[in-house]
Amino acid sequence: MKFADVQIGTAIGPEEIFISKDQTRQYAHANHLPAARFTDDELAKKEGLPGMILPGNMSLALLAKLVTDWIADNPAKMVRLGTTYRVPVQPDRTLILQGFITNTYPETKQCEVDIWMENEDAEKLVTGTATVEFSQ
Amino acid sequence: MVDFDPSIINKVFETTDPVPVSREKIAKFCETISEANPIFTDDEAAKKGPYGGIIAPPGFATTFRNGRHFFQHIPRFGKQGFDAGKDVEFVAPIRPGDEITLSSSVKEIYDKTGRTGTMVFVVIRSTLRNQKGEVVAHVDHRFMSRT
Repeated sequence: MKFADVQIGTAIGPEEIFISKDQTRQYAHANHLPAARFTDDELAKKEGLPGMILPGNMSLALLAKLVTDWIADNPAKMVRLGTTYRVPVQPDRTLILQGFITNTYPETKQCEVDIWMENEDAEKLVTGTATVEFSQ
Repeated sequence: MVDFDPSIINKVFETTDPVPVSREKIAKFCETISEANPIFTDDEAAKKGPYGGIIAPPGFATTFRNGRHFFQHIPRFGKQGFDAGKDVEFVAPIRPGDEITLSSSVKEIYDKTGRTGTMVFVVIRSTLRNQKGEVVAHVDHRFMSRT
C-alpha cells in the first residue's frame, strides 16, 4: 500500500482483543503504576469505579497497535496519536478497536485516521485521532 | 476563569535521570498489550523491517515517568484528578540501548464548564530525548479535575 492507495472512508479494523486482569496488573507493574485501581477490584470500587480499570496509557498503546497493524510492512509510520478517555476501560472483557480514514494530505503524504475502542455494547470508551505519514 | 500563576507555563522544573531501554523491557511491554509483530521483538525480522532493527512500539513512549518532585510544582484544582487523554508526537524510534530522559513543563491550563460543572484541565508536555540528545517524542498529558 502506498499513499496513492489510501482512500477517505476506508475502514481500519475492527480488531477484537481480550485483556485480562492479570495482563492489566502486569502492565501496571512493568510500568511503575502503583495505583490500586489498576490492580485491585475492591480498592477500585472504593474510588467509585466499577472495578479495576486499564491505565490510560495501556488503552493508548492498544489503539496505537491498531494503527501499526494497519501500516504493517507498508512504507509508512505513525507520526501523531491523540486519545481521549471517555469511559473507564475494564479488563476481562473483549474490546473492539477500529477506525476509518477521515482525511488525506497529498502535499505531505499524510492521512488522518479516526480511531476508537468500544466494548461489546458498542459503547465508545476511548476515542482518538492518528496521523500516518507515507514515504511513497 | 481558572486562577494560577502564569509564570509556570513552559517552565521545566526537572529533567529525569536517563532510563535505559532494553529489548527485554520492550518484549514485556509487547506481552502486556498482546503485541505480536516481530519487528518489536525478533532481531532477524526487525533487521528486514523499515527500521533495520528492533524498535519499541509507539505506545512505549508513554511509559516514562516524571521525576518524583515534578508534581510538587504543579498547581492542583479541586478534588482527585483524572487522566483525560494524551497527544503524542512520534519524532524518532526508541531502540534497545537507548537511554531516555524526560523533561516536562506545564503547557497550558484551562477550564471548561459543562452540564456537570466546571472542569479544569492541566496539560503537561513531556519531551523525551535519547542519549544523543535527540528528541524521540513529545507527550502531552491532559489531567482533568472537577472544581
